[in-house]
Amino acid sequence: MTWTRSARAVLAFALLVLLHYTVRPLLGWRTPVDFLVIAVLLSAVRVRPGAAALIGFLTGLVADSLTPSAFGAGALAMTAVGATASWLKAVFFADNVVLHGFFFFVGKWAFDIVYVTAERRMHGVELATQLLLWSPLSAALTALTGVILLLMLRPVLEPQAV
Amino acid sequence: MARAVRSGTRVDTVLLVACCAMALLATVLPLNLREAIAAGLRRTVVAPLLSLQQQAERGRSAFLSREATTGRLDSVSLRNMQLAKLEAENERLRALLGLGRQLEWGFVSAEALRSRGIGEDNTVTLTVGSRAGVESKTPVIAPEGLVGMVLTVDPSSSIAILWTHTDFAASAMSADRSAYGIIYPHLSESGRGEDTPPERYLLELRGVAFRSALKPGTAIVTSGLGGVYPAGIPIGTVLGELRTSEGWARTYLVRPAVRPPDVSNVIVLLPRKTHDPSLDRVWRSTISADSAARRIAAAGDSLARRAATDSVRSVEAAAARLAGDSAARATPRPDTSRTGASRPPAPPSAQPVPARPTPVRADTGRPPATRRPDAADGARP
Repeated sequence: MTWTRSARAVLAFALLVLLHYTVRPLLGWRTPVDFLVIAVLLSAVRVRPGAAALIGFLTGLVADSLTPSAFGAGALAMTAVGATASWLKAVFFADNVVLHGFFFFVGKWAFDIVYVTAERRMHGVELATQLLLWSPLSAALTALTGVILLLMLRPVLEPQAV
Repeated sequence: MARAVRSGTRVDTVLLVACCAMALLATVLPLNLREAIAAGLRRTVVAPLLSLQQQAERGRSAFLSREATTGRLDSVSLRNMQLAKLEAENERLRALLGLGRQLEWGFVSAEALRSRGIGEDNTVTLTVGSRAGVESKTPVIAPEGLVGMVLTVDPSSSIAILWTHTDFAASAMSADRSAYGIIYPHLSESGRGEDTPPERYLLELRGVAFRSALKPGTAIVTSGLGGVYPAGIPIGTVLGELRTSEGWARTYLVRPAVRPPDVSNVIVLLPRKTHDPSLDRVWRSTISADSAARRIAAAGDSLARRAATDSVRSVEAAAARLAGDSAARATPRPDTSRTGASRPPAPPSAQPVPARPTPVRADTGRPPATRRPDAADGARP
C-alpha cells in the first residue's frame, strides 16, 4: 500500500471514528450504528492480520475508556474481529455490495457476541435478548450504514486496488 | 520469499496473541486499576472524542426537549402577562386595606361586579347588601376617591351607580374650599377643544360662582352639603374651564380620581359613618388627593410590612424556643436552688417567647411531672 493510499485509509478511519462520537449519540437509537466496527473492518482488509489485530485492540481500548466497568471487553472483541476480517478479506472483499453488507453484519454481530461474553454482565433472558434480538438489529443497521459509507468512500478507499 | 512469508505470519500471530492477551488482562484487572487506565485515556487520547460525544448528546437532548421547552416558555409568558394584572390588583387591594385602616369603622368592603350588557356599563353589582348594613344612597368609595352611590339594596347584594351614570350628581368643592359646585358626569365626548382629543371618562363641575376661578390641577372633593356624600372624598382634578352659555356661573371639566374600568374592589360607607366628621381627615390632612392616595397605599404597605414583621418575629421566637429546648436537653442544668448560683440571663431573642402549651404524655395523656425552673429559683412568691 502506497503512502497516498495509507493516508486515505487513515483519513477514512478518522472520519468513521468521528462519526461514531457525533452521529451515534445524536441519533440515540436503541440499536445504534457501530461506526467503530465499520472503521476497523475497512482498515483490517487493507493490512496484515497482526496490524489489524493491533488496530482493533487500540480502537477497542479507546472505546472501553468510556465504559470502565467493561474495560478490555471491547478491545478483545475488536481484536478478534479485526484479525478475523484481515484473514478473511480474500473471501469477502470481492467487489460485491451484498457481500460487503454481509461482512459488516457478521462483523458487528461477532463483535457483540465477544463483547457481551467478555463483559460478563448479562445473563439468561437478558443475554439471549441482547444477542438474538438487539445485536442482529444493530448489526443489520450497521451493515446498511457500512454499505452506504463504502459506496460513498469508494473514491477515497479504492478497495479493488488493494 | 517463503521465509519472509513465514516470518510475517509469525509476527501476525505474535501480535494477535499479544493483543488478545492484553485485552483479556484488561478485563481481569482490579477495578481501580481499570479506572485509572480509562481515566488516563479519557484525559488524553479520548478527550476530544469525549467532548464531541457530549456536545452531540447535548444537541440531541436540546432537540428532544424543544417542545417541552417551548411549552414552558409559553406558560411562563402567559403567567408573565397575567402578572401585571395581578400586581395591579394586589396594589389596589393593598390600597383598599390602607383606606380601611384609615376609616377605622363604619364601612364594608365589597367586590364590584361589572355587567357587560348594553346600558349596564354605568352600574356595578356589589357583593354586600342589607345584611351587611348597606342602605340605599350610601356612598361607594375607592382608595383613589369617589366611585358612586348605592341605588338598590338586596339582602346579600346591591346595585350601585358609578359617577358616569346620568343620574349621578354630588355636591363638590375645591380642596381649599374656595369654590363650590355640583359635579355631574361629562356626557359629551367632544373634548375640551380642537387641540385636545375627546375623552370618555370625565366629569363637569357646574354652578361654580363666577368669581371663583379654578386653575387646572385644582383638587375637587365632596363638600358634604348634599347629605349623601360626606365631605372630603376626592372626586378629581380640574382640567380646564368649559365654555357654556351661562353667564352667571362657571363650569369646569374635571378628570376623575377613579376610572370606572379600574373599579373592582370598593368600600361602602355605612350610613352612620357618613355623618362622622372624622371622615374628612382621611383625605383632608394632606394637601392633594394624589398624595392622600399615596398615603393610603403606604398605610396598606405598612400593614403588609407589619404582618411580615410579625410573622418573622414569630418564626424567630419559635427558632429561639427550639434552640433553647435543644440546649436544655443537651446540657443538664445544675441545681441552682441548692448551690445558690444565679442562672444566666435568657438570650434576647428568647425573651418575648409566648407561653408554650404543656406537653402531654402519650401513654398517660397527662403532662409530665417536671419542676418549674422559676419555682426552683424561688422567683415565684
